[in-house]
Amino acid sequence: METRLYIPPSPNTPEVDFDFAARRLCIRGESYPESAVGFYHEILQRTRDFLGSLEEGEVQVIIELRYFNSSSTKMLFNLVDELNAAAKLGNQITLDWYHDAEDDTMLEFGQELADDFPEIHFRTLPIETS
Amino acid sequence: MNQYLSPCHDRQACITRNQGLVFYYVGYFSQNIINAIGDAVRLRLECSETPGSLRRKIFSIFIEMAQNIVHYSSDQLTLESDRTHEMRAGSVCITQESGHFLIICKNPVTPEWAQQLRQELEALRVMSVDQIRQSYREQLRREAPEHSKGAGLGLLTIARDSSGPIEYALETNPCGDVLFTLKATL
Repeated sequence: METRLYIPPSPNTPEVDFDFAARRLCIRGESYPESAVGFYHEILQRTRDFLGSLEEGEVQVIIELRYFNSSSTKMLFNLVDELNAAAKLGNQITLDWYHDAEDDTMLEFGQELADDFPEIHFRTLPIETS
Repeated sequence: MNQYLSPCHDRQACITRNQGLVFYYVGYFSQNIINAIGDAVRLRLECSETPGSLRRKIFSIFIEMAQNIVHYSSDQLTLESDRTHEMRAGSVCITQESGHFLIICKNPVTPEWAQQLRQELEALRVMSVDQIRQSYREQLRREAPEHSKGAGLGLLTIARDSSGPIEYALETNPCGDVLFTLKATL
């Protein structure tokens, strides 16, 4: 299995840096691709494969998105669902959810994920902007 | 592309007279065009004295509306079989009127799609804020509907981010298609 999935950022898609060897998965930037299903397909597939190979592992996940559209919301929900399933199997999953300090929608979605997926060590972290 | 896509009946007069105009685009929409005009919308709002939370909601509604045009307008340049890099016609207008932001989009749709829209929008219009949130949460956990090219959350997102009920119109135009107008108020 390849040990890293890297997708550079574009104006409407995030930078994806999933360093499976280091067990550190980061998504940063914007997410409003024309087809979120198309964009997230490989990300979800590779994450599933990686999580399936873990045994009592520790994984750090960082999600720092400025904006994501409705279909990306669904894909992020599915990603966190996969992480939660791995946490249920005895892996330690930490998720740092960064959100703009002024962005209530982003904070509420993070909190909702934390409530829905209690097996994950979830932190919502505000970023101060001008 | 037809003239009915203009959000105002008297387009020239409307644009020149309207002091509150933030952004207006009529023409073909593709994802690349959305990226570019999205930048312009963001900058335009940042330069105004609009609070950050409101700017984000306007941007969110704008993106959902523009992507709906790319996915579902019946006036398309690209082939029906081409599911990526689609290019379809419509218009989006963001304007300020008596202390509110209005975000209006227009695009032609097929009669079948018009029926689908009417059903979804009628249901949304009578929902309270809490019911919209609840419906959003439920849809997030369900499989996307078969007719959707996304997650089936676009109209719910527009309704959630609006401060009042969303308004819509479906008018049969002379070309046989139905002209769809959606208006969100913030």
